[in-house]
Amino acid sequence: MSEPGRTAIDVHDVQLRLGHRQVLQGLHLKVAEGGRLGILGPAAGGKSVLLKLLVGLLQPDAGRVEIRGTDLSSGDEKVLMRVRRDIGMLFQNYALFDFMTVGENVAFPLARRGDVEADEIRDRVEARLRSVGLAGSAHKMPSELSGGMKKRVGIARATIARPALVLYDEPTAGLDPVTTQKMYDLLSADQEETGCTVLAVSSDVKALMGFASELALIHEGRIRYAGSSSEIADSSDALVRQFVSGSEDGPL
Amino acid sequence: MIGEGLITGIGRGTMAAWRELGGITVLTGQVLRALVPPTMDRPELLRNLYRMGNRSLPIIALTAFFVGGIMVVQAGVLVRQLNAAGLVGWGAGYAIFREVGPMLIALMFSGRVGSNNTAELATMTVTEQLDGLRALAIDPIRYLVVPRVLAMTICLICLVILGDIIALYGGALFAMLVLDLEYATLHYSLVDNIGWLDFIHGVVKAGVFGAAIAMSSCYFGVSVRGGAVCVGKAVNAAVVAAAISIVLLDFFLTYLLP
Repeated sequence: MSEPGRTAIDVHDVQLRLGHRQVLQGLHLKVAEGGRLGILGPAAGGKSVLLKLLVGLLQPDAGRVEIRGTDLSSGDEKVLMRVRRDIGMLFQNYALFDFMTVGENVAFPLARRGDVEADEIRDRVEARLRSVGLAGSAHKMPSELSGGMKKRVGIARATIARPALVLYDEPTAGLDPVTTQKMYDLLSADQEETGCTVLAVSSDVKALMGFASELALIHEGRIRYAGSSSEIADSSDALVRQFVSGSEDGPL
Repeated sequence: MIGEGLITGIGRGTMAAWRELGGITVLTGQVLRALVPPTMDRPELLRNLYRMGNRSLPIIALTAFFVGGIMVVQAGVLVRQLNAAGLVGWGAGYAIFREVGPMLIALMFSGRVGSNNTAELATMTVTEQLDGLRALAIDPIRYLVVPRVLAMTICLICLVILGDIIALYGGALFAMLVLDLEYATLHYSLVDNIGWLDFIHGVVKAGVFGAAIAMSSCYFGVSVRGGAVCVGKAVNAAVVAAAISIVLLDFFLTYLLP
């Protein structure tokens, strides 16, 4: 359960090098419990890497990552496992388990908890699949689905256990504009119902501006903008303005 | 210049081999830690036992049947020359139980199950499915690797026992058809000269080979980096590593076991 007023995500001066590339260079970020933050930025700017840091799949070379008051930087597996139980994550490439059916994929986070009855799991999976527009698909294998459908299964799996923090990596990539809007409406309704903290990474500037009240723009491992989504278009940073407007003229 | 290049190549190859050996050792440590006390996914263990064991049975049975036959046919010339029909059952049984059974079946198992296991785990790694498990607070070692290691070890022991029996019957059939021997001659030659120790010798080898195939196939699967091309390279490396392990372990076990 989320606790309003508390800091859900605290990223402090994080540095990370992957291979020969400095991916994150002194990144700072704070999100309050129950907040909704959209992360924007050009490709290969470190957005997906940031999500992996938040769930402990990567460890920073320097700096600190705290999730709901717990420091993940030590890399202690027991601490990471405890924190991850309260996190739902949608991966950019879905990461659906290809040896399980759609229904089993969505049921997996609940089934692993061990404290939810089989009947309740079945009902919740059916309801969740219906809400993402995939009613009647529980028996299908992920290989039978299109990219957009896989994305929706990934969203259903990330949110079915009602985690306190949900991380979405490109939740609407590959979806048509109508489905994109429906998905963001669904994510909004979910968040309003559960009060969870949401961090969504997307390249779809317009859709993300409509979804998240707060935005952050990452470029070359640094935050170039952090603030209200309604003010981003008027940023003093030419790079931010160019990215938001989609103009060809500018520093990008 | 050629000498320098050769030395560099040998050095690089040696470093890579030690790195992979170190990785397999670390993974083995993680698997052993997960087994004390045993914490693993039982449905996943049963699923793997079925697909790795049951589905391998037809190909192993076919191979074993003809291996028994080949041994008898090869021995046929010598048996006729020395008039040693009474030794055929013993000779075939000794070789099948101690050497040919475990080694050939292990190599077949590595080609069919080990390579498939590496491809599956490597695909899961490059498509972020292992990260997906971690993000759901599930340790992929306990959930995916431990059940596979146990299943492959158990399956290879069972397949070698069944394969030994089938190879003996294959050998007996070919001995009767090709060498004109009577079944009773073969039977008494086998039971009078072969002891439980010969059988156990092969079963112990099967267990060790199964664990070696499992560890190398899982290691190359979970440690793969890159895309689809790297999956192919990982499968290749796993099959080669398993084959070398089987031969080396066979040598040491033959030397050490009674």
